[in-house]
Amino acid sequence: MELAAFFPNNNFSLIGVILALPLIGAFINGVWGARLGKPAVRLMALSSVGLSFIASLFAFCALHRASEALGHGEHQGAARLSWLAWEWMHTNGGQFLQTVPVELKFSIDALSGVMMLVVTGVGFLIHLYATSYMANDPGFARFFAYLNLFVFSMLVLILGDNLPVLFIGWEGVGLCSYLLIGFWFDKTENASAGKKAFIANRIGDFGLLCAMFLLASSTGALDWAGIARGAVSLVNPSEGAQIHIWPIANAHYTGWLQFLQPTHPITITAATAVGLALLLGCTGKSAQLPLYVWLPDAMAGPTPVSALIHAATMVTAGVYLICRLSFVFVLSPAVMALVACIGIATALLAASIALVQNDIKKVLAYSTVSQLGFMFLGVGVGAFVAGFFHVFTHAFFKACLFLGAGSVIHAMHSRVHDDVASQDMRNMGGLRKYMPITFWTFVAATAAIIGFPFTSGFFSKDEILFKAFVNHSVSPYKTELAARGVEVWEAPTWFGPMLYTLGVIAATMTAFYMVRALVLTFFGEFRGWSIGRASEAQHGHDLESAEKAGHVHGHGHVHGSEAHDDLTLPGDAPHESPWAITLPLVVLGAAALFAGVLNMAPFHFEPLGHWLDPVFEQALHGSVELRGGAEHAEALMWPLAGGGVAAFFVGTALAYWVYVMRNGEPAHRLATALPRVYRFLVDKWRVDEFYNATIIATTEALATMANAFDKWVVDGILAKLTALIVAGFGSFLRAFQNGVVNTYAAFMVVGGAAIGWFMIVPHPEVVIKAEGAAQMVEATTGPGYTYRWDADGDGLIDDEQFSDRSKVTVQVEPGAKKTIRLEVKNAFGITRSKEIQIAGPDAPAVQMGLANAAQ
Amino acid sequence: MSTMNLDHFVVLSAILFTIGSIGFLVRRNVIVTLMSIEIMLNAVNLALVAFNRAHPANYSGQIFTFFVIAAEAAEVAIGLAIVLAMFRLHRTIRTDDATLLKN
Repeated sequence: MELAAFFPNNNFSLIGVILALPLIGAFINGVWGARLGKPAVRLMALSSVGLSFIASLFAFCALHRASEALGHGEHQGAARLSWLAWEWMHTNGGQFLQTVPVELKFSIDALSGVMMLVVTGVGFLIHLYATSYMANDPGFARFFAYLNLFVFSMLVLILGDNLPVLFIGWEGVGLCSYLLIGFWFDKTENASAGKKAFIANRIGDFGLLCAMFLLASSTGALDWAGIARGAVSLVNPSEGAQIHIWPIANAHYTGWLQFLQPTHPITITAATAVGLALLLGCTGKSAQLPLYVWLPDAMAGPTPVSALIHAATMVTAGVYLICRLSFVFVLSPAVMALVACIGIATALLAASIALVQNDIKKVLAYSTVSQLGFMFLGVGVGAFVAGFFHVFTHAFFKACLFLGAGSVIHAMHSRVHDDVASQDMRNMGGLRKYMPITFWTFVAATAAIIGFPFTSGFFSKDEILFKAFVNHSVSPYKTELAARGVEVWEAPTWFGPMLYTLGVIAATMTAFYMVRALVLTFFGEFRGWSIGRASEAQHGHDLESAEKAGHVHGHGHVHGSEAHDDLTLPGDAPHESPWAITLPLVVLGAAALFAGVLNMAPFHFEPLGHWLDPVFEQALHGSVELRGGAEHAEALMWPLAGGGVAAFFVGTALAYWVYVMRNGEPAHRLATALPRVYRFLVDKWRVDEFYNATIIATTEALATMANAFDKWVVDGILAKLTALIVAGFGSFLRAFQNGVVNTYAAFMVVGGAAIGWFMIVPHPEVVIKAEGAAQMVEATTGPGYTYRWDADGDGLIDDEQFSDRSKVTVQVEPGAKKTIRLEVKNAFGITRSKEIQIAGPDAPAVQMGLANAAQ
Repeated sequence: MSTMNLDHFVVLSAILFTIGSIGFLVRRNVIVTLMSIEIMLNAVNLALVAFNRAHPANYSGQIFTFFVIAAEAAEVAIGLAIVLAMFRLHRTIRTDDATLLKN
């Protein structure tokens, strides 16, 4: 095919097109958006991402062809299309301090290809959705400039062929996330939510930077292929290759710091250090413990942003990075176990918080954190395909859920006119009747997330749970290291079953809170009648908006101050959203139901798994042992799927019983029976308060101290005191600058007389230079100076006459002293004399030196 | 009367310089101040010429004197112009009154 000739595998410049289109869109919308008008901005935003999606499809086909060409051998290696933009810089690192090139290089392989399709595809649908959702917002052009910039940054993150390029995208998506969370920045809480996200991510980025430095110095490479080649040096057990945790940088403490010096330095392998640092970065970006706190607050942004950035794409970047560097993570079973632990702990924590939230977006936010925890659990047990598959399915069902929630909020807002009240599920109910498309797509996505059998979420979550049970991470170099007497930590045998049990509990909670949200929102009677009042009678613009379906309120409007005098007045019913909102919902809802067919592990139909196999081949080579052997594990597959199904049934049935049959009454009873537990969950485990009391309070104390230092020491002593001294001198000198010519003349004359007197009187000064035992004494020169000396120190002047002899050499015994005399006569015939004491070389020091030399 | 030696010239020069500087300090009339400066400069000129006579290897002392005379002429031209401008402004030429820069 001709296309292949245009784009060879090693210079696949179509990547440049995929990347450039959203960037151009962002640039044009950002610079000229306000002048172009909304239709042009819409066209620009949609066409740039849409064309990027089409180019991605072409690239994916080319990748498929390249992978076919490689064949299906055991070790065919991963097909890869790469494009080198330019060499950015280079550094040195590795065992032999070789050159480490840092190139602006992009590549598509099986993993990034799938991710690229998800980002551009889901991204396009959400752009389409946003053109309607944001239609009445004054910041329309700015919004799409940010959104396009986000798609560009995310593509850089995914397609980057080395860590520095990934880091550019990593920071870029962080920036866009910050800008979009604080999109309505005139509200303080939105702006501070943006800052919180930015700062939490920055802590993670510190880890990622450390990982980059460690990788460059340990493996001598920063690109994926190079790191894969050099990965073996990360487990080098020799002393020099280890990372010293304490003392830092192998320092040596002496003196009063002696107590800090351990008897044996505490070291970990480079693999563990790199894994921990990468994990810190991933927890920041993917909202895991301990850095997950920013994601729930990030819901302050517009709903399409929550769907695109904080559910479908950006937050999965951490999972993507773990998959990408899977061959580094598997080298340290301890780090793998930690990844799994963080994942399951986050899943449980976030799910328990989601149980009691009333804000529909907060429920979905904690649900996202919880599902990301499942993904971490998956990759943490070495089930990279399962973890990534959950990224893939989650992108569909969670984007669909968020967009559905946005559709609901939009409908509620045009009735309630209050940002907070229109997101509160207690004001909803019965929306099934008014918004059928939104309802059915929401049902489809909910079915997927709660693991309704044979939906996409069922397959991805069950595979994670199954792998959590049977997988056992071991070091791939176990035997080699054992031969050198190095033992690598391994998880205990109860670890897998524990993860499985906790995972099933988390899945049960997921089913419960999602069904609860579904029921509260769409079933029963609409409770919004009594919240806001009918507004069209009072507001002309609302009448208009009621007529043209698809009106979205600018969220910048403030409606909260309206008097709610007649609460029962029936008003305008909530209405279905226009096609630009429902079409993405339908597409994503369908994908949420059926995307599971791509990887049906229980039916042994795994096209996605086979597609991704080459990517994870190196990572899975000898790093995962199946509990009880392959056959045993195989036999466990269906029984273990029962846990996931049971979680679905129990959670759903419980939620149905509580919220449909008993109308929420058991939940109220439980909340009143256990008020402290209930408050604890509503307060989100008080993690924010804990962070405020510890980390933030410490930082603030430090800041207060620095401020006091600045105020008293820098400002008070350094600045003010210095200024005072200068000002004092100034006032003193100002007295002389009186502007009267005679005074100046007098000073001039006095100064001239002083210089004249200095010239008239001779000045006998000497410079002494030691040259061994002899010392050279040299008199300074002056106008018409002549000299005579008493150089031998006998008290008598040596010469009768004054002469030009300005230098004499004096011999002084070590330890002795000699007094010589100089007389100087100048041109006016005036004579002055000076006595000079000359000490011999330091006698005791010389003896010490000799003694040392003798030893 | 014995020939005048260098000392006489130097002493005369010193006396002239002292008269000039005292005049420069104590008199308040700008014209007189300028004249005092002239006396000081001429004292220097006298010393230069006298030293040149004592060390006649080259004429640098005499040539330097010409430069000083040229500088004097320029200085007097500018100085008198300033005196004129000052007189037009203040109707006086006393240095005590030339205090515009004081504040």
